[in-house]
Amino acid sequence: MKMKKKLSENILDKFSIDFLRTQVLKNAYGNDDTVIAALDPRILIVWYLFMGLVPWFVNNLWFLMACFILVLVTTKLARVAGLVLLLFVIGVFTQTGYLLVVSLFFGGNASTVVSLLILTLKVATCSLASITVFSGLDPDRLSNGLMWYGCPERLSFSISYAYRVLPMLMGEFQNILLSFRMRGNPPEHETFAGKVKYLFYQVKVIMHAFYPLMLNTAKRSRTTVEALEIKGYRYAAVNKAVKKMKFSTLKVTYNDLLFLAVSFLWISLSVLASTLA
Amino acid sequence: MQLVKKQTATQSQKLMVFVLTMALYGLATLFTELLPKFQVGFVEFSVEFFLFIPLTLAILFDPLSAALGAATGELVFSEIMLGQFGGLGELEKFLTVTIGVYIAGRMVRNPANRKMVCLASITGTAVQLLMGTIVDIMKVQFAVEDFEAVAGLPESVFATEGFAFLNDLLFSGILFCLLPTMFLVPRLYGKIEPLLGMRPRDEQTGLGGINIKVVIGAVIAFAVAAGAELLASSGTALIEWEADWAESGTALAVGLVTAAVVAVIALIALKYKAGKGEAEQI
Amino acid sequence: MNIIEIENLTYSYPASKKPILKNINLQVEKGDFLAVIGNNGCGKSTFCKTLNGLIPHFITGDFEGSVTVDGLNTLESDVGTLACKAGYVYQDFENQIVRPTVLDDASYACLNYAMEDYKERGREALSLCSLEGREDDYIWQLSGGQTHLLALAGAVSLRPDILILDEPIAQLDPSHADRIYNVLRELNEKHGKTIIVIEHHTEYIADYCKHVMLMKDGSIAWKLPTDEALRRVDELQSCNIFPPQVTVAAHRMEQEGRFSKEQTLPTTVEEGKTVFKSLRYHLPFPCKKPAKGKREPVVEFKDVSIAYRSVKGEDRVIFDRLNLEIHRGEKIALIGSNGAGKSTLMKLMVGLLKPGDGDIMLDGESIRRKKTESLSKKISLVYQNPEEMFIKDSIQADIAYAMQVRNIDNYKERTNELLARFNLTELKNRDGRLLSGGQMRRASLAIGIALNPGILLLDEPTANLDIATRKEIMRTLNDMKEVTETVMIATHDMQLVCEWAERIVVLCQGKVVADGTRDEIFGRRDIVETVGIRPPEIFYMGQALNKKALCYTVDEFLERFKEV
Repeated sequence: MKMKKKLSENILDKFSIDFLRTQVLKNAYGNDDTVIAALDPRILIVWYLFMGLVPWFVNNLWFLMACFILVLVTTKLARVAGLVLLLFVIGVFTQTGYLLVVSLFFGGNASTVVSLLILTLKVATCSLASITVFSGLDPDRLSNGLMWYGCPERLSFSISYAYRVLPMLMGEFQNILLSFRMRGNPPEHETFAGKVKYLFYQVKVIMHAFYPLMLNTAKRSRTTVEALEIKGYRYAAVNKAVKKMKFSTLKVTYNDLLFLAVSFLWISLSVLASTLA
Repeated sequence: MQLVKKQTATQSQKLMVFVLTMALYGLATLFTELLPKFQVGFVEFSVEFFLFIPLTLAILFDPLSAALGAATGELVFSEIMLGQFGGLGELEKFLTVTIGVYIAGRMVRNPANRKMVCLASITGTAVQLLMGTIVDIMKVQFAVEDFEAVAGLPESVFATEGFAFLNDLLFSGILFCLLPTMFLVPRLYGKIEPLLGMRPRDEQTGLGGINIKVVIGAVIAFAVAAGAELLASSGTALIEWEADWAESGTALAVGLVTAAVVAVIALIALKYKAGKGEAEQI
Repeated sequence: MNIIEIENLTYSYPASKKPILKNINLQVEKGDFLAVIGNNGCGKSTFCKTLNGLIPHFITGDFEGSVTVDGLNTLESDVGTLACKAGYVYQDFENQIVRPTVLDDASYACLNYAMEDYKERGREALSLCSLEGREDDYIWQLSGGQTHLLALAGAVSLRPDILILDEPIAQLDPSHADRIYNVLRELNEKHGKTIIVIEHHTEYIADYCKHVMLMKDGSIAWKLPTDEALRRVDELQSCNIFPPQVTVAAHRMEQEGRFSKEQTLPTTVEEGKTVFKSLRYHLPFPCKKPAKGKREPVVEFKDVSIAYRSVKGEDRVIFDRLNLEIHRGEKIALIGSNGAGKSTLMKLMVGLLKPGDGDIMLDGESIRRKKTESLSKKISLVYQNPEEMFIKDSIQADIAYAMQVRNIDNYKERTNELLARFNLTELKNRDGRLLSGGQMRRASLAIGIALNPGILLLDEPTANLDIATRKEIMRTLNDMKEVTETVMIATHDMQLVCEWAERIVVLCQGKVVADGTRDEIFGRRDIVETVGIRPPEIFYMGQALNKKALCYTVDEFLERFKEV
């Protein structure tokens, strides 16, 4: 119930879209001068595959701790926006909280705590690894990296276009919501019943806001697609030479290898520690 | 010549629909990602709150572009942009959303037909939810050895998942998918198409309804989705109740070997690429 | 040498039977700077899209006749080849930018066409468009004018011989507009590019273009050298195009017999200086100033500070301890360059933004604790972009919405009244977005005053409109003077300011740098220069003839400058 209350206050009022916009932009572009952002995207993707997959198969506490600390450090290095970290915390919490209920239901005991800790570490490590890579990297470098591994060109275009169009879309959405706010007449929300009503009102407004947004965006996308045609987007998609030119901006440096080596060293140390313990 | 021209025209229109759906649905899922999830015990209200957006667009425009656009939008905006990318498991969502939206879009031949729009939007939602439910049940089945042997487990799993499915479909499905789609389609029909330089869909220009090809395609895609999700979640939470293999050194070894292999493969691949590039330059 | 040759071009869009371009024949010489003028909907944009092959390759339809661009027949070449011949900048240029960073977008086309030197080409284009030093910036860090220059750079990077721009300065303040045209002139004169602009601002045509082409209902009426074209005052006015004020003034004098027929009409202030040099300035009778009684303040800004969160580094401060009083019944124009804080000021007043520090009083009450929706009966804001005001599927529903949800008894009658007042009754069931620019504005004004607010705020009500529609909106605004007590307009449109406003507030970098009547503002050279505002052309004309002259309209000019 408390959550619901919070939610109803949040959607339009405190949790302003303006705030969201800056946070997302910050996450995307505010950290292009970090150590992580300078790394080669292909290396980072490999690193991510390891950090995102391997912990699932391992239940050793030392190892998981080491992985967790490593991704914690990389996340710090990537200077991820606060909102994303908040989401991460909420995500991990709800995932293990849910499991706690389940394990109690099935009759858990003292070892439950340990296994839950292991599980939490797994979940946390994987999410932080993905946060490091996907938030820490500049979208363009990320999409080039993905394309190098054979991801469809459409996807990599979508990534960079998404970052381009998001500020505009959010601005427009915000203005439409403001129109509703200026002209609308939301129910009183002092009492609890009022708050529930208010929540429904807000959900309805958000839904309705998509009607104008759809039409306005349709207008935009026509120009965009025409411009893409002029700019040769379709030619590039089938032209191998273009791909090669794009990839030529990617370079593996000693830094990248060093990054891998340090990660590997750290992990092996944890393995060593666990066998000693 | 004439034929080629027609082809490019429809391609550009498809790209427009793709871009439009991606941007809109992406933005919407960005919000859902930011809202706390409703979760009551077992039952997660896993409905895609904004599925009405791609449903509407798939009913009005090319269904496949809208479906792919929606799935890509979700992937890019809410998973990659916010760093919430869950690896292989995302493929399941990608494909189920695509299938659900595509089927809904194919069902409607004339958007002016309200009954059909209503039926299509709820079917699309149901298909998407049902696939998610099946995958969830399979996950438990695969994870727990002797699934049938544990007394009451199959029943309880079916009951909770089944309840979740019905709840999602009847409550959130109607509220967030059916009603908004019914609201939007008639309002946008005939208005939004000229903005993209297209002719509104009617009986003539609409694609044929659902046929065997669509069904087979959907089934194959679903199989891939289920496979990906199972692969991704094997060794996850649910396996924990069983596993005592955690204590053995083998798991560790597996981890290390995997790591080493991945690293080596990547390095070789890099070297190979670099070498090839040079050779070609010379 | 002709770089563009069009023969018997007729074209109609796929879903329509009526041709939008009818039997067009045209030759454009290499190195020309051509302005295309004509009514809204006469096919100007469509015409331009036939030049770069978007029509018929990308947008299908019935295409007859031939278009030859630099020796290539557009039917036989593909869009890629043609893009290297003719670059195109859209009116809604921000949608044409698809990459997140500046250099990336400028070189994107070159990369796609697999040009090895794509980065250099991008850099070169940026420097031609005076965007050097911004290479690594993100798009959203650019101002509107810079974004337009970037769209231009994206087209220039392919090194086309022809550049086509659709209404390049419609959304820009004068200093940015000058910058765009200076860049275009340089491209034209130094680099030999042929430039085609669709343009409504005849002052700019007079200053920069070599030829003018008038389109009427999908055909070309004529193509003439600029001077000659702009002197056809009657014909232009019949097509809703307004020749430069200097030309109009001379034309009116000619009609009154004060100007000999042999003399050619002037089109620029420079020409005006010689033509009008015999005129004498007569001081107007000092009309009595309305006694400035103590007027009751309706809005007070008290030490208001506000800052936006920025993506990188420090927050951007918009206002630092701003103080301003607005009195009942005032008609205020709020002017200042892009980014001076005009929109922020308005959003603060309607409660859409909360001040970081300080307070805003509305009718003596602080609005800090008030809900936005409760303010809307007293104060109302009309956005710059009317499309964002339309939240329903018909303008009737949009106008009624605010009244309906507040259960105002006779809201239906009032809606009909408003529809009639703004001449929208016939369009009432149409979606606002699908109306023409002028209709959209009128509808948004109707929405704005639906709740009968005492204070009305208008953000750029005449931006993006052709001049005929602008005049129409100006008339509407004058009509509205009696309906709403207090009105504030944020605008770049100095004709609107001079003809409508009683008080002018000049914002510059978040500060009120000047506040007064038009004579007090435009009479002060220092303000005009530092803030970068531009009075109407006729004001400059008057100043050029006599430093003391302060005339803002053609009527005033003709009244005060006499032969004797």
